[in-house]
Order: sequence, then structure tokens, then C-alpha cells
Amino acid sequence: MSEFSRGTRRVARGVACIAAGLILASSAFAQDTFRFGLAMPLTGSQALYGQDQVKAAEWAVAEINKAGGVNGKKLEMIVLDTQADPQLGIQTANRLVSVEKVPAFVTAWSAVVKAVAPIANDNRVVELSVGANSPDIAKLGDYVYTTFPLADVDIAAVAKYAATNMSKKKAAIVYINNETGSVAAEVYKKVFTAAGGQIVANETYDPKATDFTGPLLKVRAANPDIIHLQGLVSDTPQVIAQMRQLGLTQPITSYSAAFNPKLIQQLGAAAEGVIATSLAPGAEDSEKVKAYVARWQKDVGREPNGLPYTQYLYDAPYMVAAVFKSLDDKKLPITGESFRKEMLAMRTFDLPLTGKTALGEDHTVVKAVYLMEVKDGKWTRKAVVGE
Amino acid sequence: MEYLYGIVIIVGLYVVLATSFNLIIGYGGLVSIAHPVFFALGAYASALLSRDVGIPVLLAMIAGMLVAVVASIAMALPSLRVSGDYLLIASIGFQLGVLEVIKNLRFTGGPGGFTNIPPFLIRDFGRESYVVLVLAVTLAVILLVRWIARSDYGRAMSAMRDDELAFASVGRDAMWMKIAIFGLGSGLAGLAGALYAHYFRFIAPEQFEILQSAAILTMVVVGGLRTTWGPVVGALLLQALPQALTFLQLPPSVLGPIQGLLFTGLVLVFMFFRPQGLVAAEDVWRGASSRVRKTGEAT
Amino acid sequence: MLDTTIILQILWTSLATSSYYVLFAVAFALVLKVTRLFNFAQAAIMTVAFYTAFVAVQWLHWPAWAAFIAMMSTTLAASYGLERIGFEALRKRGVSVMFVFVFTFMVSEFVAYLAMLIFGTWPQTIFPGIFWPVTLVGNIAISAWDLPAIGVTVASLGALLAFTRFTRIGQFMVGVADNPDLAELYGINKRQIFLVVMLIAGAFVGLGMFLYGMRAQVLPQTGLSLMIFAVAATIIGGIGNIAGAAIAAIILGVIQNASILVISSEWQGFLLYIFLFLAIVFFPNGLRLPQRRSRFGTATRERAAEQGRSAAESKA
Repeated sequence: MSEFSRGTRRVARGVACIAAGLILASSAFAQDTFRFGLAMPLTGSQALYGQDQVKAAEWAVAEINKAGGVNGKKLEMIVLDTQADPQLGIQTANRLVSVEKVPAFVTAWSAVVKAVAPIANDNRVVELSVGANSPDIAKLGDYVYTTFPLADVDIAAVAKYAATNMSKKKAAIVYINNETGSVAAEVYKKVFTAAGGQIVANETYDPKATDFTGPLLKVRAANPDIIHLQGLVSDTPQVIAQMRQLGLTQPITSYSAAFNPKLIQQLGAAAEGVIATSLAPGAEDSEKVKAYVARWQKDVGREPNGLPYTQYLYDAPYMVAAVFKSLDDKKLPITGESFRKEMLAMRTFDLPLTGKTALGEDHTVVKAVYLMEVKDGKWTRKAVVGE
Repeated sequence: MEYLYGIVIIVGLYVVLATSFNLIIGYGGLVSIAHPVFFALGAYASALLSRDVGIPVLLAMIAGMLVAVVASIAMALPSLRVSGDYLLIASIGFQLGVLEVIKNLRFTGGPGGFTNIPPFLIRDFGRESYVVLVLAVTLAVILLVRWIARSDYGRAMSAMRDDELAFASVGRDAMWMKIAIFGLGSGLAGLAGALYAHYFRFIAPEQFEILQSAAILTMVVVGGLRTTWGPVVGALLLQALPQALTFLQLPPSVLGPIQGLLFTGLVLVFMFFRPQGLVAAEDVWRGASSRVRKTGEAT
Repeated sequence: MLDTTIILQILWTSLATSSYYVLFAVAFALVLKVTRLFNFAQAAIMTVAFYTAFVAVQWLHWPAWAAFIAMMSTTLAASYGLERIGFEALRKRGVSVMFVFVFTFMVSEFVAYLAMLIFGTWPQTIFPGIFWPVTLVGNIAISAWDLPAIGVTVASLGALLAFTRFTRIGQFMVGVADNPDLAELYGINKRQIFLVVMLIAGAFVGLGMFLYGMRAQVLPQTGLSLMIFAVAATIIGGIGNIAGAAIAAIILGVIQNASILVISSEWQGFLLYIFLFLAIVFFPNGLRLPQRRSRFGTATRERAAEQGRSAAESKA
């Protein structure tokens, strides 16, 4: 028999059991907090939007935690700066994945989303793209999903609307020579012609250009019924101004970049009748959105830059929290793989500021498109497509 | 760990860029801002060949490097035929023009960038192997440039830099020497590009803009022109400083421009008070006439 | 496509918009010709000019004329500082082309970052609205901005011409441009002339940016982008040829806009670089860059050689 007495052996066995139990517990569910990452431009030329979007997400996290968190445990969001630069995006993603070891992270800006996709896929961590709209995003891999509709959704909606509801037969497309512009031009052309219309002019302009006389004159010569403009927030007002000055009186449609108060401010009366798309319900559609906008006015003193995008970022923590809750309820381990499986199993999420979101098999989402029009110097709702 | 690997690789590649640029601008005395475009050409060529044409990655990388060499010679030849000063203007045009082309072509992915570049070594040997590869290449490039600078060739370069007229009068051909240096330096940049492409697996035109030229220039100037370790120091500094700044808890809207101000300010300060850089070489910036005045003898 | 109206419209609008390009190109070419420096710091002056006007109008709510005066003051002050503090120090040290390039480039970047810090990265115009009333002449839309812009440019060029031809300082400037050291031997104050040139260039830059900022949006980096055009026009027009730079600026502007009729719009931006490349390849002769290394200008050398020759012949 061994030197140890029976009693000691029993104690030793007990201690071993407790130790084993503790180790088992800590490995899978020692979650006092549920953590996920947020990689956005906090500095740099896109910080204007990035900061507001981060603020919205932070508000959401605070609200969630105030309401008890996820099953009583805190939701923690780790925010890192990407400057909308792909290389920095890679570094932040690496940090979130290898150092912070999050199972999922949210990011935006197409270049960053694409650059960090290999990291998400290789490490089996879920990458949620919220706000970027490049159609390539749907094909970036198993672990990359978007909660924001990609470019084909809103452009297709406005093209179809122009052809069917507005009965326009000939359209001209003017777009900025970058990915946003060229992709949208293709989508518009495809959908408009499929709906029975004809594209009479398809002109692009250089992102650095300040004079658009050439392309606009070609458009004028083609005599369209309607013109679709796909530019950036910075050049859209100028293009519209020059359009009007060159005698182009046709209605102008654009996408969410045009949907901002500054457009009206810069163009004055020339902004009347401009139609833009928005991918999120406005204050007039939902009490929650109304309260949200009011909160911005009260706390920050202005409307957020890129209001619809901030709505999506406000909703992202809610979606993440919902997945965490489901995982916690089912007592599953919190890993990237399980997060993805659970997220897909849940499939549909009812989110506060953007409504129902259903993740498609093809890694895309389809949402209603809100068409907004400038009337009497203010943005008003014209129609909702695809609800 | 992967976080560290990414940083080590990026720093290594920047050291290669800075060192090869030092070869061109420091040792060769050639003023050019077109370094990032050769970085881009190497990356894009290698990515295109391996992803869309199916060539094995190693060969594609070498091909990428060769594309950069050929392109640089194509650019340098007409301009150097005129004079060294024209190279500067030509390099501005080339840098901007080639990027425009990349943005407008469909098969390069256009402005949205080139995705799904095939990986190299990582799948078979793990990420560590790539880190080793990059560090080995970096060391090789540093030693290569050092060897060139100290060899007879390096002495010839020095002579050419100091007084081209005298150099020509003793029968040496300055133009071909300059083209060779430019081609080699740019080829090394292309190699760095290929190495970048197959690790990070996504490249976009916006990563190769003129702002990169300023960054590389800063590294070389602040680190020390015409020295072996100057560009290394410069590259390390330029990568480490932004990280250090993030610990200062500055408000975000201020952080971005402050980094830019810091770097450009650094260059200006260094150029005024310590033009030779952190790691000093002698008489780095002097024009020929002042050099003669200083030493009192013709070179 | 080749409708007369369209062609005329394009010609008119590009002519009008080339006004500021001409001002920028002439400023750059002038500095290059007289001081033999590639002044890439001109982008910094442009940034200073624009943001002063912007601040005056949009932050201080001054009337346009006051904003103009404020802008000219800061622009001239900046040019003064650049010449006296920057270039003079560089000249004293006898630095190389590379040094000047890096220095001026970095100064422009520095100022751009400063502007980013203070003004953010949202594009701005001098006045809150960018809409200019338009009148239709025939079928051509002529904006109320066009004629004043062209007028201002023509007047400035005329003033410059008169200055160089009819004033003493102007003629000294021409002398210094040809051979600075020889001019000094004749008692011309080189230092003063360099300052005058920088101030004139500054004035042109100020005018140009004011015109530009009334019509288009500006970002902190816009200065550098506009500079590329000025440099290209200077090279293509012929180094040392101010009139050439001006004409090249107009032609480049018109061609760039008119090219839309012949080529696909996405390649418009690329044209500029093609022209630059062609200019370098096909016009190298006759475009001799200032000989910085030699201590005496070519003209002097030749003259001296001639004098020696004639002296030898007369002795023989």
C-alpha cells in the first residue's frame, strides 16, 4: 500500500476533481464579458464618417449593457483605427484576431473589408461588413458577411423605379471613375435596359476633376429623359451645379452619397427635384429612428454624417449580442466557428433602427430602398421600393 | 503572433524599399519619386501572373521583379538621355500615369483592388516561413547595396555624382551607369511588391500613391542618405512612431494630421540641422561646387 | 457628336477654366526661369491662399473684397517667408537639386497636413454656394464666372509683360534670369530680384486660387494636384519660356476637355501624363535646364571665349 493514508488520497482526489471542473469551466464559458471588435477609420480623410459610426455603435453597446447586457453579462466592443487604409486594416484585424481573440468583428470601407478577408477566413473569425457596398464582398469567403445591402440593391431599385414608375425611356449615366462609380454604372445599365429602357450616354469623370463640361456635354447631346449620377459626397454637388448650368434640366437621381443636408445647402434652388436613395428608414418611418436623430441633435448638436450608415452601425452590436445570447443559452463555446454557425442558424434579425435583416445564402442582404427627393428645400420621402 | 508577423514583414519590406531607394537617390544621385509605382508593378505583375495565368508563385514573383526592372529602364532611358534633372519630371509623370492606367484597366481589378491573390509558403510551411523569407531578402538587399557602394562600382558612382563632366572625360559612360542603378533599385522595389502581394493577398492602387513616395523619402532622409544602416533606421522609425503616437491618447481628429505633420516636420528639421541624417555619411547634400570649395581640391 | 454647339461649348468652358491653370503655370515658370529653382512649395502657397480666403468669408463673414485683400496679404507674406527664410538659406549652403526638391515637396506636404488639422478633410469652396448665373449666347452656356476669370488672367499677363519691358526692376529680372552672377557684377541686387519674383509668383498664385475657389471645391491636397498641371505646362511650353508655359496651359486644358469627344472618358486624366512623356522624349533639344553646376552661365562662357578670340586675332 502507498505511504499516503486513505484520507489524504481522498482529499487529493477531491481537489483534483474541483481543479478539473474549474479548468473545464474556464475553457469554454469563463465569459464574464462577451467581446467583439470594431475596426473603423477614426483618423484620416474618412474619419468624418467613421467617428460618427463608431459613436452610434458605442451608444448601442451602452444601451445593451444598461438593459442587462447579454444574459446578465457585459458586452464589450474593442474599437481600433483603420484610417480606411487596407494595410492598417490588416494590422487591426490581426490584432483583434491574434491578440484580442475575438470571435467576430465589424468593419467597413470596401478596401479594408477586402484586405482583411484572408485573415478572417484563415483564422475562422467572422467578419461583418457594415456599410461597404462593393459587390465583391459577397465573394470574399466563408467568414465574410455583410449586413448592409451591396451596390446592386439600391442602384437596381432606382433604375427600375425610373423605368417603370417614372416611365423614363432614355437614361444617361454619369459616374465617378472609381469602384463605386463603375460598379453602379453597370448595375444601372443592366437593370434599366432589362426594364425596357435605353441607355443613351454612359460617361465617367476623373475623381480629381473639377470641371465636367466634356462628359456633361456628351450627355446633353444624347438627350436623355433622366440622368443618374454616381459620384462622391464631395463632387456630387458640383456635378449637379454644372449640369444645370450647361442647360441640362432633366431629373437627376443619385445614391446615398447625395442624401445629405449639405447638398441642399450648396446648391440652393438647383437641388430641387434631386432624388437619392437611402437604405435605412427615416425619422418619419420609425419612432426609434426619430428618437435616435433627436438624440444626435441633443448630445452632439447636429445630424450625424451619413445618417443611414450610422443606423446600420447602431444595429450591429444588437445583432452580435443576439448571436452571443443564443450561444450562451445553448451553452456553446464562444469561437468564430460557433459564432458563424449560430448566426446562420438564426438567419433573420429584427434590428432597432434598420428593421428586419435576413442573411442570404450568397452572403448578401436585401433590404427596402427608400427614395428621397428634395422638395421645397428639404429631403422628403418619395417612395419605398422592395419592402 | 500573427499580429507581430504582419508588422515584422511590413517593416522588412519598407527597409527593402528604403534601401533600394537609397541606392537610386543616395548613391546614384538620381532624383526620382517613382519608387512606389515599381513596388506596385512588381505586386500587380506577380499577382496577375499567379492568379489569372496560373504561373507558380515563385516564378511569378521573379517575373514581377523583372517587369519592374524593364519598366524602370523604359522610363529612365528617354529622360536620362537628356539630363538627370529631367528624370525627376519624368518620374512624377510615370508615377501618376501608371497608377491611372491600373485604375482604368479591368483585369487589374480597377480602383477596387485585386483580391484573392494566391498565398506562398504559408499553407505548406506556416506563416513563420514567410517571415524568415522576408527577413532573409531584407538582409540580402542591405548587404547587396552595401557591397555595391563599397566596390569599384561604388567608387565610380561617387565620381559620377561629384563631377559628371570629369567622369565623362575619363571615358566612363554616366548614362548607362545611372540606368543600371535605377533599374536595379526599382527591381528590388518590385521584388518587395511581389513579396507583399503574396502575404497580404490584396492590393489596391490607393496603396501606391505619391504619399508613399513622401514616406520612403522621409525614411531615407531622416535615416541617413548614402549609408548602409540609415534607411533601416529610417524605416524602423517611420513604422514605430505611429504606434507610439497612439499611446498618447490624442483625440482622433487630431491624430492623423499630427502624424503627417510629424514626419514632414522631421524631414524639414533634419534637412536644416542634420542633413546627413541620423546615421551620418559625409557631404550628403552638397552640390558639386560647394564640395570643391570645401575640400579645396578638384574631385 | 461633332455638333458645332458642343465643340464651341467645350472650347469656351475649357478656355475659361484654363485661366487659373495659366496663372499657376506662369508663376511656376517665372520662378524657375529667374531663380532656377523648381518651386514645388508653390502648392503650399496655393493652400495658404485658398484657406485664408475661406476663413475670411466663411468664418469671419467678411465681404468678398476684404477676403481678397486678406488672401493676397497672407500669400505675399508666405512667399516672402519662403524666399527669405527658405530659399536664401538653401542658396547659402549651395545645395543640390535634390535637396531643393525634397525641401519644397516636404514644405507643401507639411502645409497640407496643417490645413488638414485645422480645417478637416471636407472639401470647401470660398463662398458657400457654387452656383453661378448662366446666360445663353446662341446655344452656348456662358457662366458669370467665365469672363471675369479670363479678364483677370489676361490683365495679369499683360501687367507682367509691361513690368518686364518697361520697368527697371523688370529688366533687372530678365538679366538675372539669363545670368545671375554676371548680373550681380553689373550691380544688380540679386537678392532683391529673387524676392520680387517670388512675390509676383505669389500674387499670381493668389489670383489663381481665388478664381479656382469660387468655382470648384478644394481639399488640403488640391494644391499638389494642381501643381502637376503647372509643371507639365512649364515643361511642355519650354523651360525658360514663360509665354510658352501660358500657351501650353491653355492648350493642355482645352485638349484635356475636348478629348472627351474622341476618347473614352476614363482616359482623360491619363492624357496629361502622355503629353508630359512625349514632351520629354521629343523636345529635349532647346530646352536646356539651368546649369546649376557650372559657375558661369553658358552665355558668359561663350562671350568670354569670343572676347578672347577677338583679342587674340587683333593681336595677331
